[in-house]
Amino acid sequence: MSRHKIVRTMNLADELDDFDGEDDYYEEDEGMSPADKARMANSLRQVREVIGDDIPTLTDGKIEETLWYYYFDVERTITYLLNQVGASEKKKQKKAAVPEPKAREYFTTISSISPEHTSPGFWDDTPFGSIPPGRRGELLPPPSPIGFRMSGLLGGSGIQPAKTSKLAALAKARNKAKAEKASDTTSSGTSGTAVSLLDRLSKKKPDIPPATRETPASAAPTVPNISKLEQLVEKTTPDLPKNEPVHNTPSIPGPEPDTVLKAAPSGFAKSMFGKRIDETVEFKQEVTDTELIYFSIAPTQKAAMKAKQAFDVPSPDDVVIAAQSQSKGISKVSKGEKPSSSAITSIQKGVEALKVADTSEKPVPAKIPRNKLDVVAEYEKSKSKRKENANLVVIGHVDAGKSTLMGRLLYDSGVVDERTIQKYKQEAEKIGKSSFALAWVLDQTGEERARGVTIDIAVNAFETERGRFTILDAPGHRDFIPNMIAGAAQADFAVLVIDSSPGEFEAGFNVRGQTKEHALLVRSMGVQRIIIAVNKLDLMHWDQERFDEIKQQMSQFLTTAGFQAKNVSFIPCSGLTGDNIVRKPADGLVPWYSGPTLVEELETAKPVIKAIEKPLRMTIADVYRGGVTNPVTISGRIEIGNVQVGDLLVVVPGDEKATVKGIEVDNQAAEWAVAGNNVQLHLAGIEMEYLKIGDVVCRADSPLMPLKEFEAKILAFESLTPMMIDIHRGRLNASGRITKLVATLDKGNGSVTKKKPRYIGPGSLAVVNIAVTGAPLPLEKGSKIVLRADGLTVAAGVVE
Amino acid sequence: MRLIKQQVERDGSGTVTLYPEEPEDMWHAFNLIRVSDTLRASAVRRIVSESSTGSTSSSRVHMNLTITVDKVDFDSQAGQLHINGRISEENKYVKIGAHHTLDLELNRNFTVGKAEWDSVSLGVVREACDPAEKAEIGAVVLHEGLANVCLITEHMTVLRQRIDVSIPRKRTGSITAFEKSMEKFYETIYQSILRHLPIANLKVILLASPGFLAESLQKYIFAEAVKTDNKVVMGAKPKFVTVHCSTGHVHALNEVLKSPAVIARLADTKYAKETKAMESFFKMMQTDEDKAWYGPKEVERAIEKGAVATLLVSNSLFRSNDMQERRRYVRMVEEVKASGAGEVMILSSIHESGVRLDGLGGVAAMLLFPLQDLDESDEEEAAEEANDAEDNENL
Repeated sequence: MSRHKIVRTMNLADELDDFDGEDDYYEEDEGMSPADKARMANSLRQVREVIGDDIPTLTDGKIEETLWYYYFDVERTITYLLNQVGASEKKKQKKAAVPEPKAREYFTTISSISPEHTSPGFWDDTPFGSIPPGRRGELLPPPSPIGFRMSGLLGGSGIQPAKTSKLAALAKARNKAKAEKASDTTSSGTSGTAVSLLDRLSKKKPDIPPATRETPASAAPTVPNISKLEQLVEKTTPDLPKNEPVHNTPSIPGPEPDTVLKAAPSGFAKSMFGKRIDETVEFKQEVTDTELIYFSIAPTQKAAMKAKQAFDVPSPDDVVIAAQSQSKGISKVSKGEKPSSSAITSIQKGVEALKVADTSEKPVPAKIPRNKLDVVAEYEKSKSKRKENANLVVIGHVDAGKSTLMGRLLYDSGVVDERTIQKYKQEAEKIGKSSFALAWVLDQTGEERARGVTIDIAVNAFETERGRFTILDAPGHRDFIPNMIAGAAQADFAVLVIDSSPGEFEAGFNVRGQTKEHALLVRSMGVQRIIIAVNKLDLMHWDQERFDEIKQQMSQFLTTAGFQAKNVSFIPCSGLTGDNIVRKPADGLVPWYSGPTLVEELETAKPVIKAIEKPLRMTIADVYRGGVTNPVTISGRIEIGNVQVGDLLVVVPGDEKATVKGIEVDNQAAEWAVAGNNVQLHLAGIEMEYLKIGDVVCRADSPLMPLKEFEAKILAFESLTPMMIDIHRGRLNASGRITKLVATLDKGNGSVTKKKPRYIGPGSLAVVNIAVTGAPLPLEKGSKIVLRADGLTVAAGVVE
Repeated sequence: MRLIKQQVERDGSGTVTLYPEEPEDMWHAFNLIRVSDTLRASAVRRIVSESSTGSTSSSRVHMNLTITVDKVDFDSQAGQLHINGRISEENKYVKIGAHHTLDLELNRNFTVGKAEWDSVSLGVVREACDPAEKAEIGAVVLHEGLANVCLITEHMTVLRQRIDVSIPRKRTGSITAFEKSMEKFYETIYQSILRHLPIANLKVILLASPGFLAESLQKYIFAEAVKTDNKVVMGAKPKFVTVHCSTGHVHALNEVLKSPAVIARLADTKYAKETKAMESFFKMMQTDEDKAWYGPKEVERAIEKGAVATLLVSNSLFRSNDMQERRRYVRMVEEVKASGAGEVMILSSIHESGVRLDGLGGVAAMLLFPLQDLDESDEEEAAEEANDAEDNENL
């Protein structure tokens, strides 16, 4: 989750607009079925019986909301409500002081949602529990309900009633801070950020005994802490609208170190952030660094020591803050430093940087300072520090279980949380497709869910201890092969999912089945490594014979398709049950298999080496509004070359120029990106209308010349005559015509076997001329293209 | 089109007077009128007259002009035909040799004079004046982000509007942008259908797409028609047919027109027959390649051997300005007809099937019996050429 999104979700207006998870929640509420309503009425009565009518704050609406939240679990609802009443009564006294209704609304929303996530032990059985604390931040996208887990309002389960008092104290302390905060706050955007920071900060407070927290003396240190956090944020994001008074608030308690900090913020910040910038990639470590620096100058009282203890371990919040500080704002602070540091390292590099600078001196539509980095050198430097990201495309016949398998993988590796899955399960059951729940993680549009078919590729990322992976879940239905091609074009390797149930493998494997077509397609797009996931073996009672039969047939086919045996591996698994995907199958379930699980096998796959020093080429995979500050954002995978902030780009076909305002690599802000990275480029100086999915962006000094007619060397899958075809290249889908069959070639040595053939038979290698029907296409020598006609892939080849 | 007067002498020369009634007739006229023909039609010309004192006055005069055709230009979108030429008959306003561009108009006679009325030209006249019921259909082929709204008449496929929009893809956590722009995409198509397709006069309106788009579009259209109380669309509900095709490009019409659902409704129309013929040719190419040949030389040889069962010719060949070449194709058509065994189909080059045939060089034949190596000498020639080239290089 990018920080842009974090910031955005803090903004109330935007949140209401875009916030998916919560939207769903409300929609669900409105769309209650009659059966649910009956249950609701019944449960409401039960709750009323227990609680009684004497608590004025407990409206029917509130109870209903809670009931719905727990899905009619009366017991949990009551526990939660009782706790809630206890907490809210104390809160109320403080709330009167809060002048900003918006912020309050925000809070009530949170508190009405939060409790379930905080029940102790709730997360123990999920993979979250075992993730090292330093990495948690990345796995906690704030817009998702996990964010609210930190809001600190406990309860719900009621297993530990002792906690309530602590909580009450906590809520009180927080409200106090909030009241001070809110009185200063003017802009809602900033207040959102600040409040949520406070909010998260409070999560760690339970360590401190409530008694100490209540005394005004010890309450003070926490306030400066917060203020410093804010200062940190402010310094790092000078662009954002900020409110000056924030500085002054903490100075009322007036601990000396605070004034020290105020006296020389810029130098300090510089040294602090300069260091950070040098280590953009590995930010886990530097978080600890900043934190140490930061807390060592905290008030030297007892409380400070305690605070330090409490904050010794980098919490998810710190990670988030640190990440925020890396956003554009901080990059501006650091801009003066970065080139100089690289210049020191080598003169040659400086010369190279100058060379780059020469080319960028053309008129720029919007002035965005360019750092003149030597991206190649930067890349080499950072190589050892970060995990390489590999893209994998998931392919296979329709209904082979691709999306379910990937949903399972994301769920088991902790990217998707339990609650989301539960929600999907309930919704899927409602429409009688309970086995599709896992697939809904990836199939998000209404149509996809209603029909149970993936239509477009879904992109998701997950991380293991040894690598980062971006999943491109491709549709299996033959109508959506263009979308699958778009996914395969971005992939380093492929996972081919095969349905092992009786008749299904055969259906996918016959002439019109997609198993073969997909495998051929990914091969012709340059994918060499393929992992065959033999899925749904639970239906076959983990029958070894079936596995071997499929393995034997597939091996034979893949060899003829051009995959080397060493690049093909077979994994028996079940997406629905999750056996042998992330976790090993239960003992004795698959006695005949002792190999790696799917994820272990993925980890052995290495991303393909890319030409990063060549001129930039990136096919636009998506164009959208990247948020308030980034009205035009494009995403895609850099195919060749590199890009950095400030680069002047040109969109081909066409002559529209744009400047790179910001780069996100794998949803992390970056100064540069190289081939192989999945990037989002925030552009300036261009309108969205000029950017089309399938266009190619290049650096303005080395543009691509679009082609109207070209010659291509192709491998025919079907027989070809001069005919109308669809030309596909990644997201690009255009119409064209084979105008001339130039020659057929010998497969072995490439020599011409027949000039001007009348037609080209399936399986032969040939050279043809292709004319584009519409506007010229952004193709160049070496571009890999796929030709389709009448719903079949007829050929794949390379532009000559 | 109505035939007003036909005056063709024994030697083939003569004139034909025609009365165009509908836009499609312009297409027939386009196929009929060639360079060096004479054409007489009504025209408005600006006449500048100079008085004895030297002052000039200009006035627009309506008159009938006869020109010798230099250039024929057809605008299929607007259904207009512009013919450039030089005046060949003098009248009191214009001199011989002055240039004029005639725009043929509906409901006004025009007269074409040719030195040689061959069977193909007369065939065009006959076909144009065939009063058989005309079946026009509307078709929308689409895929995500691209839609082509077409009008298919007996002899023409007219692309009325191409809608090409960028649709953001689904992204994790945010599908609102996608759904919003899909809605907008449907809206644009709906408006385009209302504006460009004469729904009441059409026999059927095909909505074709891969996947479920066509169905969604159909749902959208009727929902919108109910919402806006559009009686025309609601009344035409049974006319809307969804068909599957593999892409949203115009050439997907080939696929659409051969689908069983469409054939059942349009079996006897000319374009359905043409599509079917092209389809069977390509099928034969794959299954029985020695019986399917394309290219002028190859087909000519097959005709010499009397082997042609069906000859497919694109009418673009007959529009050739080179009389020799045109005669060559006319001879091919006449020979096949004369042989008695063969059938000739002249495909309209602006139907998708005709475009496909043009891709093969405009002429193709399905044979009665397999023939091999019809292209052999071609290769010899090519080899010779190559040798020559080498020799030249050596020299």
